[in-house]
Amino acid sequence: MDVNMTYATQEMWTWWLAIYLYFGGLGAATLAVTFLTDMYLKPHRHLVIWGAGAGVVLLALGSLMLFGHLLHKSAVFHVLNPMILFNKPDAWIAWGTQFIIWMMVWGVLYALPDVRETQFPRRVPVIKNLIDQPFVIAIAKVVKHYHRGVGWLAVVNGVGVAVYTGLLLQSFPAVALWHNPAVPLLFTVSAFSTAMAFLLLLMYTLLHDQADEYIRVLYERIDLVLIAAELVILFSLYQYLKNGSESAVRSMELLWNDHGWLIGFIGFGLIVPFFLELKSMMKGWSTRVPIITASVLVLVGGYLLRHYFMYAGVYAYPW
Amino acid sequence: MPHFVMVIDLNTCVGCNACMAACAMENQTPVWDKKKWRTYVHDKEIGIGSDVNRRFFPRLCNHCDNPPCMTVCPTGATYKKPNGIVMVNQELCMGCGACAMACPYHARIPITNDDVQIGQAFYGSDYHRTCASMDKCSFCDHLVEQGQKPACVTTCVGSARLFGDLEDANDPVAQMVASGVARPLMPHIGTKPNVYYVDDLKWRS
Repeated sequence: MDVNMTYATQEMWTWWLAIYLYFGGLGAATLAVTFLTDMYLKPHRHLVIWGAGAGVVLLALGSLMLFGHLLHKSAVFHVLNPMILFNKPDAWIAWGTQFIIWMMVWGVLYALPDVRETQFPRRVPVIKNLIDQPFVIAIAKVVKHYHRGVGWLAVVNGVGVAVYTGLLLQSFPAVALWHNPAVPLLFTVSAFSTAMAFLLLLMYTLLHDQADEYIRVLYERIDLVLIAAELVILFSLYQYLKNGSESAVRSMELLWNDHGWLIGFIGFGLIVPFFLELKSMMKGWSTRVPIITASVLVLVGGYLLRHYFMYAGVYAYPW
Repeated sequence: MPHFVMVIDLNTCVGCNACMAACAMENQTPVWDKKKWRTYVHDKEIGIGSDVNRRFFPRLCNHCDNPPCMTVCPTGATYKKPNGIVMVNQELCMGCGACAMACPYHARIPITNDDVQIGQAFYGSDYHRTCASMDKCSFCDHLVEQGQKPACVTTCVGSARLFGDLEDANDPVAQMVASGVARPLMPHIGTKPNVYYVDDLKWRS
């Protein structure tokens, strides 16, 4: 069919969906990293509580963003039902919703014994009353017995959430920027990189403990590798878009001609933190300010990635 | 089992937009919002200088055999009938908009709660919509079930819109598709659309 084409971006899913994807990836990856640290590196009560708390709060906020934009909110119950995975196994939102729900459930359960043994939650009246209920004490005992099993259930669902955020965009075939295998990979790596940055920020400020120095060093090195991987994926994506379909080329032009993407995200969100953390690994810093700076930049960059990705998806409409 | 398709002959579309009006009244679409048509006729000019042709290009849901809107729908609200028509169950649809993001043909429209309220006042007691949801062309499934044709086809003054059964070898519409005269939009995406177009430019001098 001999047709002309109009190229257009969309206005359906914008900044609020970027927040949903960002909070989803960040919260889920933070929970997964803290639980793995607690299970295999060093039992760390505060890290677990912060990880589970961040996971639940960020996922709840992100999900609220999506829920607030639903046209028919009461129909959301269909997707909250776990049986939806048998009815709609091909829909990533169905999987993502279940991953989010079960990550929250297993995350809270995993943290429950630690919450009961920590003083801070007891200062909050509602939590104090709840965690002293006999059934909660009984659940905490069971969870403690099966601690690693519960932890792994939370971690698997957390990783599922992080991967899902990319798979969701990949499932839209009309947009070359989204419909390619680099996207789930990019979003997963970015989710774990922002989680490392969040935890480094936490461990250099509110949870600063000299005994955790080796955990911080490990997180820094993992983040360094993740940022490097992200840069490689972005370079591959650039090559794919540059030589791809018209939709791809136009997305590439939108992104790489935008200072927010090029300088804000790639420059300050990836390259600057990469060198700050590289210097830390090779020669060290006399102060914690550079790593705190790097962490803040990575966190801002993580949002910018998703923000620009949503706005730069180009559709090709024939006429 | 029939497999319904539509062929749109761009040579005979005169751009009267009667199809849009007929569709809107038959399906009670939100005519108060210019962005919310189930079917739309683009009015474009092709050419330069004095050699310019005006092209009217009707658009609607392509009722794909491999519909990405159905794949991404998390509740199963979007489904495909055995006769090939892709439908939306408004009660099941939570209006997340994933279908609109997945559709390469820009054929999905959001019906908001405000639209439902205005619709109740505009269309009166006959208004059939009960809740907000994503919406799309249904090939006038309720008419097709009664052996009739979609409203846009019935009303088309230039017979630019033709409706037929791909499984019926004697159906002229099926023959146009089989001959290759009528071709789908963007088949490379893999959606296997069931709306076909007869090119107009090659017949123009």
